[in-house]
Amino acid sequence: MSKLITALLLTIFLALPLAGFAAEVQPSTTGPRVATENGQSAVDTEDDFDDPFADEEIVVNDPIEPFNRAMFWFNDKLYFYLLKPIARGYRIIPEPARVSVDNFFRNIETPVRLVNTLLQFKMEDSGTEIGRFVVNTTVGLLGLFDPAKSWLGWERKEEDFGQTLGHYGSGPGLYIVWPVMGPSNLRDSVGMAGDYFAHPLYSPLYFKLKTWEQYALYGLDSTNKTSLDRDTYEGIKKDALDPYLFVRDAYQQYREAQINR
Amino acid sequence: MTVRHLYLLALLFSLVWPVTAGASTPKQDISGTVDNILVVLRNHELSAEQRREQLSNLIRQRFEFTVMSRSTLGKNWRKASTEQRQEFMKLFSDLLEATYLGRIESYTNEQVLYGEEKVRGKKALVKTLIKTKTVEIPIDYKLVRKENSWFVYDVVIEGVSLVRNFRSSYNSIVAREGFDGLFGKMRTKIAELRK
Repeated sequence: MSKLITALLLTIFLALPLAGFAAEVQPSTTGPRVATENGQSAVDTEDDFDDPFADEEIVVNDPIEPFNRAMFWFNDKLYFYLLKPIARGYRIIPEPARVSVDNFFRNIETPVRLVNTLLQFKMEDSGTEIGRFVVNTTVGLLGLFDPAKSWLGWERKEEDFGQTLGHYGSGPGLYIVWPVMGPSNLRDSVGMAGDYFAHPLYSPLYFKLKTWEQYALYGLDSTNKTSLDRDTYEGIKKDALDPYLFVRDAYQQYREAQINR
Repeated sequence: MTVRHLYLLALLFSLVWPVTAGASTPKQDISGTVDNILVVLRNHELSAEQRREQLSNLIRQRFEFTVMSRSTLGKNWRKASTEQRQEFMKLFSDLLEATYLGRIESYTNEQVLYGEEKVRGKKALVKTLIKTKTVEIPIDYKLVRKENSWFVYDVVIEGVSLVRNFRSSYNSIVAREGFDGLFGKMRTKIAELRK
């Protein structure tokens, strides 16, 4: 525990000068950002307005479909018979408290996002992530609250190693549905493995938590997330002609959008 | 100026607009429809049937089901016979309507913010954001101009285009089971959703 506090203090002091920098940079970001968005629009309208008649076929490379469908089936059962009932019981905790639990986990994950903004040379975003971590860890009481967003308008920058690989031109590779973890692909699986090393709770490089502690934290985080989710998967299952195909394509599109952001 | 005032203003605006001017902007068209939908959803005096009918009218007035059907089938549109195309368009519009109605009903108490609007020729993109207590969901509408109004031909939720998603799923189904297989699945789904 003392190690945790030392690490925390160390990070805060190391990060302070940078945070000042971030704070200075931040107010002006809205200006240039709008400008770049306008500047880019000529280019990215190509995507925004893709011709509805074009035969742009998004083929997801899925050579192991039978395996993936089996895993999809397994995850479906896991969700309905285990995760969902637990989350339903867990919902006796008031929503604001559950939002705070989520904030706490997302705040602890800052190194993962920070490393990936740095790897992609998105320096402004790195500044935002550091600034957010400092503000939310101190004023936001160890990350339970998100004053960086609600007061300062600093939005979380969702970056991970899969996106970093995509940023540098890696294609998605074959589609893989992992048990428990769900839809992924070769690139994003490598990405998950990479991010694991930067993740404070699971990495062997930081706190060296015991395995059962890691499982407990992962379980808590998943349950909490499920409790905050408003039946997204139920909706997909209800609407889609073939939920497997829906998720396969939606995952691919969602990741593409994140990478091109 | 409360949010309710804004909605009322938007509603008034959408009612008055067609009379006062010849052409509208994409943002006005889509926000008019979305806001009217919200007004219907929040009106608790309507019977379930009246509600459904009003919503259905609003949706069918704003969605371009022909363009959507054609781009959803993609390469299979050309292979389809005239009857198959007709059949698909009918099933597809019923299915989309049923899906959209089912979905929008859970958004009654949410706030919809309208963002940027981009227009290029006959196409436009309007960004919106649905704000709930815990999440913000970006929803972009792609519209096409016909005469003086704009009609939705695609909805992009968190970067996922519905038409692209349908196209990829539907083409896989057609490849495996043919048009009959697809139509059968669509009929079953429509019946399920309308229950």
